[in-house]
Amino acid sequence: MEIVKENAPHLRRRDNLSIMMLDVIIALLPTIIFTFVVFKLSALRNILISAATMILCEIVFVLIKSKPAYDGKKHEAKELFENFKKNFSINNILVPLVSALIFALIMPAETDPTYMIYPVLIIGSIFGMVVGKLIFGGTGKNIFNPAAVGMCFVKLCFGSTFRCPENNYYPSYTAGATGTEVTTGSTALPYINFAEGTFDLSHYSLFDLFLGKVPGLIGEICKVTILVGLVYLIIRHAIDWVIPLTILGTFFLDMLLVGLISYCGTVEGMKQNPFSFAAYELLSGGLIFGATFMATDPVTAPITRPAKVMYAALLGATTAIIRLFAALPEGVVYAILIANVFTSVFDYYKWSKEEFNWKNITAIASLILVPMLIIVWATCVRVF
Amino acid sequence: MIKKTTHIQDSLKLLGAIPTIELPVPEFLYIATENARCPKAEIFIKEGDYVKLGQKIGVRHAAFFDQPIQATCSGTFVGYEKHYHRSGKLVNFMKFQNDFKDTWDESIHERTQEEIDALTKEDMIEIVKNCASVGLGGSSFPTYIKMQTTHPIDQILINGIECEPYINADHRTMLEDSEKLIEGIMYLQKAFMCHKALICIKSKYKDIDLALTELLKHYPDSGISVCKVKNYYPQGWEVNMIKEATGIKVETGKLPSEYGIMDFNVSTVVGIQEAIRYNMPVYQRRVTVTGDGIKVPSNFVVRVGTPAKYLIDACGGYTDDTNKVFILGGPMMGASLPSNDCILTKTVTSIIVLNERKYREEPCIRCGSCVMSCPVGLKPVEIMNTMRSMPVDKEKVKFLNPLKCIECGLCTYSCTSNIPVTDYVKRAKVIARLK
Repeated sequence: MEIVKENAPHLRRRDNLSIMMLDVIIALLPTIIFTFVVFKLSALRNILISAATMILCEIVFVLIKSKPAYDGKKHEAKELFENFKKNFSINNILVPLVSALIFALIMPAETDPTYMIYPVLIIGSIFGMVVGKLIFGGTGKNIFNPAAVGMCFVKLCFGSTFRCPENNYYPSYTAGATGTEVTTGSTALPYINFAEGTFDLSHYSLFDLFLGKVPGLIGEICKVTILVGLVYLIIRHAIDWVIPLTILGTFFLDMLLVGLISYCGTVEGMKQNPFSFAAYELLSGGLIFGATFMATDPVTAPITRPAKVMYAALLGATTAIIRLFAALPEGVVYAILIANVFTSVFDYYKWSKEEFNWKNITAIASLILVPMLIIVWATCVRVF
Repeated sequence: MIKKTTHIQDSLKLLGAIPTIELPVPEFLYIATENARCPKAEIFIKEGDYVKLGQKIGVRHAAFFDQPIQATCSGTFVGYEKHYHRSGKLVNFMKFQNDFKDTWDESIHERTQEEIDALTKEDMIEIVKNCASVGLGGSSFPTYIKMQTTHPIDQILINGIECEPYINADHRTMLEDSEKLIEGIMYLQKAFMCHKALICIKSKYKDIDLALTELLKHYPDSGISVCKVKNYYPQGWEVNMIKEATGIKVETGKLPSEYGIMDFNVSTVVGIQEAIRYNMPVYQRRVTVTGDGIKVPSNFVVRVGTPAKYLIDACGGYTDDTNKVFILGGPMMGASLPSNDCILTKTVTSIIVLNERKYREEPCIRCGSCVMSCPVGLKPVEIMNTMRSMPVDKEKVKFLNPLKCIECGLCTYSCTSNIPVTDYVKRAKVIARLK
């Protein structure tokens, strides 16, 4: 027995990074099970390929990092292996696994030439992991969400091949080649087109959207499973609840205003019940998935509470703007990447404070109001 | 996990129910010649001299005060030995061989009630100064300097919160010495001419609340009342305690006395009572010996100067042969010593022996738990990142104001990645003090 000296404090909270990552995986499980039930082997293929690729990238990264420094002597492979063992921990598997699961869930089930799904998954995983995370120095140092970076890249490169087949949980569901309607792009969103002046809510009921009886990227369509995961994460404190709630709140508010103005406006195709319109927007696309699993990644979100609210408000408003005015029907992934850029601005040490003072509240209010004014102005010009 | 830490997991909750054991005085007692606040000392006796219990045997000199040293047993002065002090330094200790007679020094006598009634504030300060009463909660700040304040005092707060986990010394003091405590508070009320006194305790300790409320029924119109505060760490920090008990927010860099508040630790008040009533220095104190490395955790009353090894033997020794961390003070703020060869001084509230745990440091994932948990509103993660960057940006460190840190250890405790954040903040304090 020896008496060892260590610095105070001598106790530690029981939870750690591995438990946090396991919690995220557990929160993703309902969604994963849903994808297995609906998409069967396609879902399994998506998850296995991206998980294997991302974990492999991380292992190669740790290997490169554990190469001994040059000191004139020859190093044996054994030494490299010893260093590797020292640098490698369970978190080097869990953290990329979480990114991989999220990435796999925001990929389509099918591509048009069927074989294209393999390069899409592999290139997306490698790009997301290497450019999104490893070149910044690995876990904890990345600026962008790795899954979002990978998704964004493959969408830009291979977007036209994505196919989101209709699904109705029918056992007879067969891959895209059947006569069912195959929509390009994603989800139920193309039916809402601001530029053409059509807000067509008739194709899918809100209930179908909620349960996932719509075409879409495999993990994003079923909101029930995602909300179960969200509640679990909030109960376990694995994420900060202000981020998803602020994103959804800001987004809903903006969309509600658009709906209200359109309802009073003169364009016939846009006259819809504002609440159903806002709920339709909220429940379609990847918004809830992104707000639950991607925007809350602590590494790319700000540290202090007020900064988190600003970040989330910006994210929600950007999503609304992209959905309404951009050429893309889907905007969450891009909004997450844009908000990630501003994280370091919100976190700048000279003004980020933990308590809510009038400066913080002014900043939050302006981040909510300015995009809202843009949206309101644009909608008014369009409909009157 | 991304959340604010308010509670420290306490694995030994039952200890508060164990009555204090009075240990036989060991054969050899040790008194430190100098301590953390007093770097120089002057000793009046030489080797072979006979001393009596409570006899003044020397004076410690510090920057702005002198502190008399008293013997804590009657016996022979054997010589000097080096042992570890609470501060973690090797310090010269005077070794006394106990003759087990406990002959009291002539200066120790009981004052009658009339004599006490006749004492003025200045007299009391003089008595407290001669008895070397210091803050026994761990600060070891001389009580008489605190009492010399010229600000008008309108309430006295007694800190019985003991927010650190595992420790129960003050808890037992309040239960077992409650009469002394109340008497001490009454002397203080008289000295500061104020009527209001609050004994602050944690609301979860129902037994103290019951005992003190029952006892206070015998002292109607005493102005003393029990104030229950919320259980969270670091509630025992005086700024938090004052805010919770009275609603007054003490700004950084100001003393509570400027707001009309005097706060004392429970053990300090008992020490003041003994000093004023019997003219007795603090010669014994309550010590909790606990931790998962100890066989039978216990509360003890021991003489100041008892070697720590003696107490550990009294607890049945260590549990097993794994490496141990030996802490004097609480598990959150206490200093770990490189050896168990140390001596209990007046200000040691507990000995905690923990089995060594190895934590693997992971990269910071910016979860913000340290920022949420920090009781003074610092951003420990920002300070840590600044300290890690090379060269350190001194302006940035100063802007982040690490000097506000009270070293409660919550940032390390709550860190999801097991990073010793508190160490970085302590280093930042050194840099921030540089001109």
